[in-house]
Amino acid sequence: MARINDVGGLQGFGPIDTADDTEPFHADWEARVFALNSALIAGKVYNLDEFRDAIESMAPADYLAASYYERWFFAIRTLLERKGVIEAGELDV
Amino acid sequence: MSDRFSAGARVRTVHHDPPHHTRLPRYARGKRGTVVEPEGRALLADRNAQGRGDAPLEQVYAVSFPARELWGEGDHDVVLDLFESYLEDDDPGDRAEAAAAPGTSRAQTGGKDGKP
Amino acid sequence: MTGGHTDADISRRVRRLETLLEDRGIVAGAALDETLDAFLSGASPANGARVVARAWTDADFRTRLLADGTSAVAELGLSAGGVQPQRLRVVENTPDTHNVVVCTLCSCYPVRLLGPSPSWYKSEAYRSRVVREPRAVLEEFGVRLPDATRITVWDSTSETRYMVLPMRPSGTSHLDEPALARLVPRNALIGTAVL
Repeated sequence: MARINDVGGLQGFGPIDTADDTEPFHADWEARVFALNSALIAGKVYNLDEFRDAIESMAPADYLAASYYERWFFAIRTLLERKGVIEAGELDV
Repeated sequence: MSDRFSAGARVRTVHHDPPHHTRLPRYARGKRGTVVEPEGRALLADRNAQGRGDAPLEQVYAVSFPARELWGEGDHDVVLDLFESYLEDDDPGDRAEAAAAPGTSRAQTGGKDGKP
Repeated sequence: MTGGHTDADISRRVRRLETLLEDRGIVAGAALDETLDAFLSGASPANGARVVARAWTDADFRTRLLADGTSAVAELGLSAGGVQPQRLRVVENTPDTHNVVVCTLCSCYPVRLLGPSPSWYKSEAYRSRVVREPRAVLEEFGVRLPDATRITVWDSTSETRYMVLPMRPSGTSHLDEPALARLVPRNALIGTAVL
């Protein structure tokens, strides 16, 4: 068994879209997610390995369907809930 | 604390399947390669990911694998950065057996094109 | 994972999270802005190109760069970047060898030297295939290498970040360092372009 992030050698993803997309963020919320994650790691709320672990723990279908920063936001929420910093459902207002 | 492996050492990755985070991808498990160089120590990611603050510092090595060892074909090499506990000495007895077996690619490791 | 949520839904949740974390004294909005500004202004492929141009024009620097990338780029006030310190390893293309960089497990990348990573670098298609069939992948980028060229794929699975030192194109002996730097596209630093 391996996790869904472990894609080296996996078949079926098709050709590479080589378009030179250099926009760092495609929406303002992506930039905020990036900055929040940096601050939470710098503040030792969690570490980078915990962050990677949280992304990898996504259900495979969800991981593949999610955009890059959606995965990040999922991981941040997961870790903050696990550590009791926020409660489940607290963001859904 | 001295490094267990030096550049040029023949190693074999563990064939593990841990129920947690790891930085040994599935395609490189149980494979034979050659150490390119030690990279310096880092907190073992497998343990650090559990957030208990008890992860040991381990040497990390760049290890080169011929494509044929990883995929059964191909003429390229793949280098991965691997924690010391992912690696075992590649037993010379096993190696002799592998070299004798047809279709294996041991001759490609560590040769002049083996690694920079 | 978004279960059909719109961008507006996520946007609202992210704002809510930021407010909660500020209220609880865990992050400061001003600090987040600073982090973003530093990232956006400090991370650029022009940095990597500058390192390459220096290596092409200064043999001693090139030797130091290949021996210890971290220290050599620090001479230019640069680093690999990232949220924690990372070792930089520069790998050199030669007439016989070509290097290409990937992170199959996530998307590790020397962001300060290469700028924000392109979408394809983070894609499952690139991550899954380049370790298995680098020649076919490079052809999709328009790179055709001679059959005799040996390819090494560097899969950054720990805290080392890799940058490719491309070969200096012929006919450039009259160019100075800034002009040479302008010849180096970001993909050449990853190994998906040659000059």
